[in-house]
Amino acid sequence: MTDVAHAHDPHAAPPAPTGWHRLTAPGWLRIMWVTPIFFGIGLGLPVLLRYLAGWDPVWKGSVLVTVELVTTPIGFLVGLGGFDYWAYYASGRPTRVEDHSGHGARSWRDYFRINTDHKVIGIQYLVTTIFFFCVGGLFALLFRAELAQPGDQFFNPQTYNVLVSNHAALMIFLFVIPAFAGLGNYVIPLMIGAGDMAFPRLNALSFWLLPMAGLILIVGMVTPGGGPSAGWTCYAPLCSHQPLGQVFFNMGVQWAGASSIMTALNFLVTIITMRAPGMTFWRLPLLVWANFTTSLLVVIATPFIAGSQFFVMFDRVLHTNFFEPAGGGYVLGYQHIFWFYSHPAVYIMMLPGFGIISEVVAVMSRKPIFGYRLMALSLMAILVLGFSVWAHHMFVAGMAGWLRVPMMVTSMVIAVPTGIKIFSWLATMWNGRIRFTTPMLFALGFLSMFVIGGLSGIYLASVPIDIHASDTYFIVAHIHYVLFGGSVFTIFAGIYYWFPKMTGRMYSERLGQLHFWLTFIGFNLTFFPMHYIGLQGMPRRVADYAHRFADINLFISIASFGLGASTLVFLYNMVNSWAHGPRAPGNPWRALTLEWQVSSPPPIFNFDELPQVVGHPYEYGVPGARHAIFGAPQPTPVQSEPAGAD
Amino acid sequence: MTAAAEAHDHHGPPPIHYSSRVSPSVLGMFLFIASEIMLFGSFFTVYFFDRVVNHGVNGTWPPDGFHRPAFVAGVNTAILVTSSFTMHWADTSIKKGNRKGLCAGMVLTFLLGLTFLLTQVIEYHRIGFNTSDTSFAATFFGLTGLHGVHVFIGLTILGVMTVRAFRGHFSPEHHHGIEIGGIYWHFVDVMWIVVYVTVYLL
Repeated sequence: MTDVAHAHDPHAAPPAPTGWHRLTAPGWLRIMWVTPIFFGIGLGLPVLLRYLAGWDPVWKGSVLVTVELVTTPIGFLVGLGGFDYWAYYASGRPTRVEDHSGHGARSWRDYFRINTDHKVIGIQYLVTTIFFFCVGGLFALLFRAELAQPGDQFFNPQTYNVLVSNHAALMIFLFVIPAFAGLGNYVIPLMIGAGDMAFPRLNALSFWLLPMAGLILIVGMVTPGGGPSAGWTCYAPLCSHQPLGQVFFNMGVQWAGASSIMTALNFLVTIITMRAPGMTFWRLPLLVWANFTTSLLVVIATPFIAGSQFFVMFDRVLHTNFFEPAGGGYVLGYQHIFWFYSHPAVYIMMLPGFGIISEVVAVMSRKPIFGYRLMALSLMAILVLGFSVWAHHMFVAGMAGWLRVPMMVTSMVIAVPTGIKIFSWLATMWNGRIRFTTPMLFALGFLSMFVIGGLSGIYLASVPIDIHASDTYFIVAHIHYVLFGGSVFTIFAGIYYWFPKMTGRMYSERLGQLHFWLTFIGFNLTFFPMHYIGLQGMPRRVADYAHRFADINLFISIASFGLGASTLVFLYNMVNSWAHGPRAPGNPWRALTLEWQVSSPPPIFNFDELPQVVGHPYEYGVPGARHAIFGAPQPTPVQSEPAGAD
Repeated sequence: MTAAAEAHDHHGPPPIHYSSRVSPSVLGMFLFIASEIMLFGSFFTVYFFDRVVNHGVNGTWPPDGFHRPAFVAGVNTAILVTSSFTMHWADTSIKKGNRKGLCAGMVLTFLLGLTFLLTQVIEYHRIGFNTSDTSFAATFFGLTGLHGVHVFIGLTILGVMTVRAFRGHFSPEHHHGIEIGGIYWHFVDVMWIVVYVTVYLL
């Protein structure tokens, strides 16, 4: 490289701002004064408009809260520096040449700034989502304490429902979906041989929307007037008549959804345009395939939940009649729109996990993945079929009767591509030399638990059983076998699997295995009995219950506290190993995929030289097989985009 | 980290290898538009449920006493469609190196878009019903309002690009801003035709 590159050394920290510049430079000091300004705008603008239009009252709480929940987060992002580059461009000045000053972390402080390095953003995502996982888990323990005995002990029914609603919302929007986004963020550019994501600044921005979304959801719980208690599904018209906290809920979901769409867009563009030479689609690791399909789902489906949350919010704030029967609205329309997103959302919460399991199972069994192409195609099949099953959530809602059977059939057909994946993993392990490391234990735990969740899913897909089991604890058991035994286990598998790569340290295998067994046993003791009490008729989302369920609920509550305690082992292991664990080699698992071919943690720009991909990523045990070679003569790039092009 | 890697780091990132002929920003804009279409799709879906499944408040659509200014909105549609052509003129001008054509095209597009938006605001003011008046009004303000927000975003982008056009930041080789802003503007225009037909004519 030439001397020009030396002018901005990527390792050197940008010069620290001095004097007044400390207040105007992006960062927490600027947040301190910019956020109040935007808060003032959010307060002043609606009041001024209402005054000019002569509307009474000029000062209206629900309107102000709605506008504030748009402007204040934007103020925070402006202060943090999320829009600095674009604002500079929009002001009409010449394009700034990228100097990589915001790339890479030099100290822990860089994790609290806008950082364009996908590796830093990946860790930001994971730490944030684990924080919200703990908060959401605490909510669950609180209402399990309430459920230990029939009658009201700790919470009134309203508070109970607030806890249940936010437990679900945090776990779905602030843990499972973004945790996969975090793992994908860290791993995808490395796996495809790219230096970073396609849009690093957008990537940084989409991360910072997330903690705000979580904060909004949590603040909404303690809003004067009461928190949102309509469940995470937020059905209209119940949700349009909730206390003020509901607006926080609607807006929190919007911010999390926006973050999710931006990340998905970034993944898609990165995977399509940034692959290393020789990395064809049929040579992509299955994790990349999984995130590719998931991102397609997010881009297509997530706008529908944005729409649904807008409608219920408008029904509340603007008194529209989208779903108000008195004004000609169609109540069930909400459920159709909501589930048109939220059924694909369960695949958004599962497909990246499938990708993680494919990596872990192949590496730990030392065998090529069985049926690679069919594994990729079955992801696509799930993507397409996922859009045709939404109304199986509405069998008892009073929707058109003729919709029931087609939805039942498509829901059952989804078991086919899913079954292809399950049997491919089993065939991959068949006769393999399996290493029972912590990621592999979680992968096996996932396989067994997800099959149980999948089977109860087929039960629920059939209309007669669904009518019997609807809104009982059978549903709670099913959803937790799919989302906890499924998604959460895969997230743990992914975190343990890539922990050496991310931190450069090895985790404690002994504590990892202890964590797995405590989680696995605690999980089954907590959720398996719910199948039984559900079929006996115990309704979900109710704080009180019949005395005949008392013993089994006490058992479930005790088991759930054990399950909660198992997370402490995980947290201790992560923190302690990150600080004091033994140094990890570049490739501790002897994996073939590209992220393991660089040091742990990877160099600041991932690859010092561009890898040339020459073969498949899973040729374990195949003599002479190579996935990629380094230092090969480089082909001329298809198209190079000069930095700073207008 | 190996010594070689350490030494290399100081030279900045290795050159980016692009594996597709599509430029990342154009592809990103198309994917963004795909998600925007789905957002409009959710508004059309609620419109479908309120009108076709539920037949509005008493079986008539629009309900008795509600008047849709289809003619004024039609003229407004013509204005917005024209702005798509001027946008295209600006885009082709800069590709040929004609900077005057670019500037004139951008100014015209911006003014036409602004006219559209102001007409829409005046129409809201004089329409004679409010958001709270039946599901017809909800879907009317929902669809036209969502589109209005998109026109506003489009105008902001156009405004930035116009300023940059006058400052000479674009050339036949580098006019990504015009191209991508133009794609967005065309999307806003085409979406309006669908909204207009659905809300005012059907």
